[in-house]
Amino acid sequence: MPVDMNNINNASNERSWLWRKIGFWFVPVRTETLGPEQWANVRKMSRTGKRRTRRLLFALLLVPVLAFEIAVSLRLVRLDPWAGLMSTAWLTVLLGLWVRSLRIGFAQVSLEDRAVMEYGAEFDALKEKQRGQLFQRAVRDGLFGRVKIDEHEAERRLQAQAAAYRLLGPALVVFVAGYWGVCLFGPFEATRHALAVTAVVVTWLAALVLAAPTMIRMWTQPDDPGETAAVAE
Amino acid sequence: MLRMSNEIVYISIMLLHNRIAVLRAEKKLSRAKLASSVGVNPQTIGFLERGDYTPSLELAFKIAEHFGLPVEAVFSPRPFRTLSEQVYKLHKREA
Repeated sequence: MPVDMNNINNASNERSWLWRKIGFWFVPVRTETLGPEQWANVRKMSRTGKRRTRRLLFALLLVPVLAFEIAVSLRLVRLDPWAGLMSTAWLTVLLGLWVRSLRIGFAQVSLEDRAVMEYGAEFDALKEKQRGQLFQRAVRDGLFGRVKIDEHEAERRLQAQAAAYRLLGPALVVFVAGYWGVCLFGPFEATRHALAVTAVVVTWLAALVLAAPTMIRMWTQPDDPGETAAVAE
Repeated sequence: MLRMSNEIVYISIMLLHNRIAVLRAEKKLSRAKLASSVGVNPQTIGFLERGDYTPSLELAFKIAEHFGLPVEAVFSPRPFRTLSEQVYKLHKREA
């Protein structure tokens, strides 16, 4: 049955400005009621992570987000240690979810490509119902992290992890040195011994983290294959 | 080239040249269709065409097989000559 575009446009225009601009992302609705304006927004949003400049902005946004998180947690921990723990745990979970969604975004296929892969047709050529189903599947897969990690994506992830680890090494050394400095020379006469104990623990944790890749390799690398008998002298 | 900890390890990353874009255009094949038939994401095909990614041997063979060509006709460590130049030289040799 052909879709009456006038009805769709009218249904969309009857809704509030807030719904048309933002609400439709969050409110479960029949996607057949999305108007051209919303579809344009959806397609624009699905391409957000494809541009490097936008990704850089997102990466830089991590700094104020972390600063906010630390400021809130420090304020609460002074009032009540348990409140500090709860807020830190909650904000860390939120941050983790945000980073997870960014990671999933890298591997997600755009709506246009998805249309070709699933229906063998361009997105614009799909029926309204098919577009809706495609969008819902894309959102669902994004939420549940059901994305295809192909060899390129896996390699990029490994490269990023290796780069992060290379930064982590010197950062941990500086942190441990600073921690010892504060413990030994800070104005904490009453608690200096207790702080020194935590510094020892922190040092060994850092050493463990830095030694982990080599230890894992020691454990997992297979035996060195010798020269075959036919070739060996 | 990558620098890792105190040991300087040079890893020469050889980027392969490829003809995927030309072959796709020839067959009027979309990025997404090629991607689904060789089992990767469409963006990976884009990175391959742009020369930002060197495929694994497995993927290189799959792509070559998809186009029905030997792998050296699709991928090469040296830049490819243009198809028009090759066709012209072939005609000249035959003449």
